Amino acid sequence: MSRALYFLVAFVLILAALLLGLQVGSFEADLATIGQAFTQYDPDNNTHYAIVHLRLPRLLLALVVGASLAFCGYLMQAMVNNGLADPYLLGTASGASLGAVIVFFGFVEMTVAGIYMPPVFALAGAFVVTLVVVILGYRKRQLIPAQLLLAGIAISSLMTAVVGLLTFLSDSEGKLKSVIFWSMGSFERASWTVLPYPATALLVALLLFAFLQKQLNILLLGADRAQALGVPVAQTRWAILATVSIVTGFAVATSGPIGFVGLIIPHVTRGLMGTTGRSNLLFCAFVGGFFMLLCDLLSRILYPPAGLPIGIITSFFGVPFFVYLLSRKNYKFSS
Amino acid sequence: MERDAPMVALPFLHKRSYTLSLYLNRLIAFLLLLIAVACSQEKKQPTGEEVVLQDGLGREVRLPQPPKRVMAFASSMTEMLFAVCDTASIVGRTQQCDYPAEVYSKPIVNNYPVDFEQVLALKPDLIFTIEGMTPLDVAARLEELGIPVYYQKYRTVEDIFEGIEDIGRIMGRQQQASQLADSLRRQVQVIENRYKQQAQKQRVLAITWSDPIYVYGQNTILTDQLRILGAENAVQEVFDQPYPALTREYILKMNPDILLGGSIERLEKEFFSLYPELRKIDAYRNKRIYAPTGNLIERPGPRVVESIVELQGFLYP
Repeated sequence: MSRALYFLVAFVLILAALLLGLQVGSFEADLATIGQAFTQYDPDNNTHYAIVHLRLPRLLLALVVGASLAFCGYLMQAMVNNGLADPYLLGTASGASLGAVIVFFGFVEMTVAGIYMPPVFALAGAFVVTLVVVILGYRKRQLIPAQLLLAGIAISSLMTAVVGLLTFLSDSEGKLKSVIFWSMGSFERASWTVLPYPATALLVALLLFAFLQKQLNILLLGADRAQALGVPVAQTRWAILATVSIVTGFAVATSGPIGFVGLIIPHVTRGLMGTTGRSNLLFCAFVGGFFMLLCDLLSRILYPPAGLPIGIITSFFGVPFFVYLLSRKNYKFSS
Repeated sequence: MERDAPMVALPFLHKRSYTLSLYLNRLIAFLLLLIAVACSQEKKQPTGEEVVLQDGLGREVRLPQPPKRVMAFASSMTEMLFAVCDTASIVGRTQQCDYPAEVYSKPIVNNYPVDFEQVLALKPDLIFTIEGMTPLDVAARLEELGIPVYYQKYRTVEDIFEGIEDIGRIMGRQQQASQLADSLRRQVQVIENRYKQQAQKQRVLAITWSDPIYVYGQNTILTDQLRILGAENAVQEVFDQPYPALTREYILKMNPDILLGGSIERLEKEFFSLYPELRKIDAYRNKRIYAPTGNLIERPGPRVVESIVELQGFLYP
């Protein structure tokens, strides 16, 4: 299949998943009602309201977050030249968790000036931890991927331990539920006010890397050879680092640390499009978005009304496919 | 010598060391002794006073004699014990117990995770608890330590009254218990009669947590309390969990008349600012938002009537 066809299929699948997702919920809504909700929106009709203000932002957030995580996973794997990398390697997830947990456990007011604090602190936590990891991974005026990896793992473990300690010392069951719920990911808080942040971050990043895909592929040959071929390795790494931390930060802050998507979708992309396809990054975002939409849909169909935590679904349906991919003989991480 | 050692079963150790085998020998002998002691204890002759009870979960609870020293692992049951028993027979309380004031004179036992040593130090003859409060494996562990655990479970307000009478029977205080239960029953009857003919049932949603949104489900006592008041739980669907998590859309569809869970100011700040979409529900539009007292609405104890009266004030201001 040609690349254009792949994109077309992915696009159609995403549209189909969106249309299907708009029909699932507490209010009965068939395609005609959905059409009406958009063409003749009636603010007093609660079904219309639910479709436009609850379901659509939720689905779009799932799409954006799935795309963000897959995209960042692809970048990370290319940067450290290792198929085990995922976007949380920089400590984003654990930092965000710590930030959110600090609010949930009452060290900070839940709402300050009318703004709900957990996502704000999650974002701050993600950035601070990423910064620490990057400082530790920085030697002789350049980033050393292996050191970055180790620093990420070490700092993540430390953050996880702090979260564990706070959780253990928690005095209320409600707080525990918040933390557990948060740590498995959810799109339930999606709204039109939240959506623009992760969406803007993703779109800017996609645009930036539309011009860097070639460098990224050359980077897979190793830093020395890439340098010899004229790729500014250090600058490219910095660009990846900054992009991954910002895009992942927003994704995690809005929806919690959803696992596995950032690890497997890049492999799926390479499996379908080849290791060094020219539009791999964009396609990876498409596949990630579609996969997350599908998972969100499944979660709500399997366990209405609240839906199973999204992180559980991504692993349940992602892992078998990943295992299949690994067992295929003709798939290799790099060329 | 080495051949007689029991460690022949561990061939990889065979030629290692003589002292180790001797140590193992002693260890095994000691373990056998322990088992023998444990068995002999279990075969202790019944004193003739042995009490065999069946608790609310259908478990058999055996007591060597009628209980003299008891405590509860649920604050609602501590309240029941204080209402029914001789205060001197109550040996401890949990960290959440705060009613009646006399509880504060009792030593604290952490009920989750259970502080087994403190339980052993207080040596109650029996521990009362409610379904879902104490895991069954914890109860099994306590029974191994010689402290039986008695469960009660309630679905309705009447179940609570029967629970009070049940405790009375076990503790030999039938009279106090049935007097209390009957007086509570009469109070409930009066309230129930008053609202029997309620034409329009108000639908009440009670939330316990805002992120995620957890609510009082259909199979909680609140549903029965609301029925007595001629109202109904807005959550009509029965979920597996007593306190299910709900989505904004689900609540929007229920459109409850009354919301319980905090003062208007507090919910405005902690709930509606987080879910502005829910400002569309009738309870918000009509400002029918109330803050029930936490240790009343949450506790299926003798103050359940007080809780009903409090709810009455919210439903019929």
